[in-house]
Amino acid sequence: MRFPGRTIWDTRVQSVCGILSANGAAGIEIFVSASFAQVSLSPPLVIVNPNRMHSIEPAIALTGRFAINVMPVSSRRTVARLMKMRRREPNKSQVAGLSIEEDEHLIPFVEGALRVVFCEVERNIPSGDRRLYIARVLASRVNSTFAGQRPLLFSDVLGTQSASYSRKLIRRILIVSGAFDLAKKLRNRLRPAPPPDIARTTYEQAGATEEEIARINQYGIVDHSRKLKPPAAPAIVKKRIGVCVVGTGWGGVHCRYLRMASPAARIFVCGRNPERTARLARSVGAEAMFTDLRTAVEDERVQALTLALPHDIHRQAAETGAAAGKHVLVEKPIATNLIDADAMIDTARTAGTILMVAEDMHFRPSVREAVACVSRGDVGEPLYLLVHAGGLRRPQGWAADKDRMGGGVLIDIGVHYIRGLRLLMGEPDRVLASRAMQVNTKMLGEDSVHLLFASRSGWEATMLLTWSSPRGNLPDIVLAGDQGALHLWPGKRYLDYYPAAPRFLPNMISYVRPYWLQEKLIRPQMQRIRITQPDKDGTGYLGEMQEFLTAISEDRPPASRGEDGRRDLEIVLRCYESLDRGTWSDIPTL
Amino acid sequence: MTVSFFSEVAHHPTALWVAISPHTLSHSMIEKAGRFSLAVLTQKQAHLAELCGTTSGRETDKCARLDLHASPSGFLFLAGALASTGCVVRHSEPIGDHTIFVADIIEAELDSATLDQRQLLLSDLQD
Repeated sequence: MRFPGRTIWDTRVQSVCGILSANGAAGIEIFVSASFAQVSLSPPLVIVNPNRMHSIEPAIALTGRFAINVMPVSSRRTVARLMKMRRREPNKSQVAGLSIEEDEHLIPFVEGALRVVFCEVERNIPSGDRRLYIARVLASRVNSTFAGQRPLLFSDVLGTQSASYSRKLIRRILIVSGAFDLAKKLRNRLRPAPPPDIARTTYEQAGATEEEIARINQYGIVDHSRKLKPPAAPAIVKKRIGVCVVGTGWGGVHCRYLRMASPAARIFVCGRNPERTARLARSVGAEAMFTDLRTAVEDERVQALTLALPHDIHRQAAETGAAAGKHVLVEKPIATNLIDADAMIDTARTAGTILMVAEDMHFRPSVREAVACVSRGDVGEPLYLLVHAGGLRRPQGWAADKDRMGGGVLIDIGVHYIRGLRLLMGEPDRVLASRAMQVNTKMLGEDSVHLLFASRSGWEATMLLTWSSPRGNLPDIVLAGDQGALHLWPGKRYLDYYPAAPRFLPNMISYVRPYWLQEKLIRPQMQRIRITQPDKDGTGYLGEMQEFLTAISEDRPPASRGEDGRRDLEIVLRCYESLDRGTWSDIPTL
Repeated sequence: MTVSFFSEVAHHPTALWVAISPHTLSHSMIEKAGRFSLAVLTQKQAHLAELCGTTSGRETDKCARLDLHASPSGFLFLAGALASTGCVVRHSEPIGDHTIFVADIIEAELDSATLDQRQLLLSDLQD
């Protein structure tokens, strides 16, 4: 059966698939291209047509030199991964695991390419959303490792060639038997195809006018706003370290996760109240207990402190520990003001000790996987982050004291989600804060707050943090991009991925008639892909303890440094500034 | 004629380029008509590539030996091809020893029987 082609992909002009590589202003740029070919034999000339919304185009324009890396058919997975990666992802070669070298012309090329053609631009022809570059061939290099392999084709990566043998066989049977044509006719009857106007349908699916390209590119061709990364995997504790947990409230949680992180760890407990301290020490099997911090830091068995104390005395305790040469893990927020935070960082630096901020969001497995999903391009371009966190809580004691706490719900739990925002989306540039009426009059700090963050990179984030209303069974973080959405649940080892493209079952049900039956059959869960992490703990507390102990034993900076905690606090304080003024507040650039 | 120097130009406007030697009959015909058809061959159509690439249209009527049919807009489309496209020339200029024709794709046709096949490569002909 013959049927009209409706897009440029239908026409299948693209054939051999390669990777263009060039040196750009911000480093090496790579781009998967199936639209390059030789245009002249003498002199040898080639044409490439990079998209003007991709970073490879300004890179080629900048240096006038690039390489066409024709990939072997065995590299299908790598190229597919690279092709799926989001357009504005920085350091694509690293994320895709490609090894890049430079030749004598200073042109970067892919080491694992079947053939590399090194080119120098002679001129260019602007053409719609692409630009045709006509280039002279400087040199060509063949990789003998892949002798006998044919080049990778575009259809190998995206088309039927990439399917498994059984799927190919089923497809072949459907085509030969005529079932495919029958299904296509039925589909066209149920859902008529658009008119065969290629220019229009292509424009609707992929095209962009000059104005649209300029508007999209105003946010930058590469998104460099994400400066913070979670560790790739939980750290493995190998040494036995003596740790004193300071504080007997939340300190109990520290003890539990310390024991899980390192069953052989020597745990000590320090608290002002002898009875509570003794009770905690007994329950966690501590080697010794202290009722005074100075005595604790003078004990030679203690190598490190974890501080689970009121926010306003973090500085005093951290400085005492660092002055005695002890490594310190301080609960978030690092302090209640930047002066204290800077002093803590300086003291640790001078003493040569580790200052780590206990920010569980940094080690939450679902956040780590979500960051990987964003880098891989699963959600396309990240556009919105929604946070709904908190739940009914009545803070008491020092936590109800605004001065000791440094504020209310914003500094206490908002700081977690600000770290999450920085990991998932990047550094925000400005914030607008507002709040509903105070319900809990027993606390001096705010019991709810509503934040709107905006970035020059083109994304926005909304946070609703509350201790005055229940949350219900909701994800605490939702990340929405143009190709999909991620739902993260507090404390869970999984996250839910909802791709924009319909999955098999919802797609099939969309053909069911009458419509009322279709509505009865369809379920939102049918579109859900649940990604589970192998970690033992979904909260991130275990990961942060493992990281702290491993950083000490390996004598390296930890993943969540004092400087990272300081930045979180800086953003929190700008939120408070906006809340006081009722207007947008600019956040200093990192 | 058989061409291997062609590729996509842009998604919008939907266009491709093809480079043709100025000594060929096809070159003068495209220059004159301002439109042409391009059929992307499958791996099983190597014999057609050889047929159209080894003789000149000045000597033999190659079209008579091909299974061609007219599209709604009057382009000649090849049966059994991976895809046939109808193109209108927007821009042409000499580049090296060839002339590049940049053309808008205004019509295309696919055959469901070829959906599981891949493109014919130059290396397939050299094997």
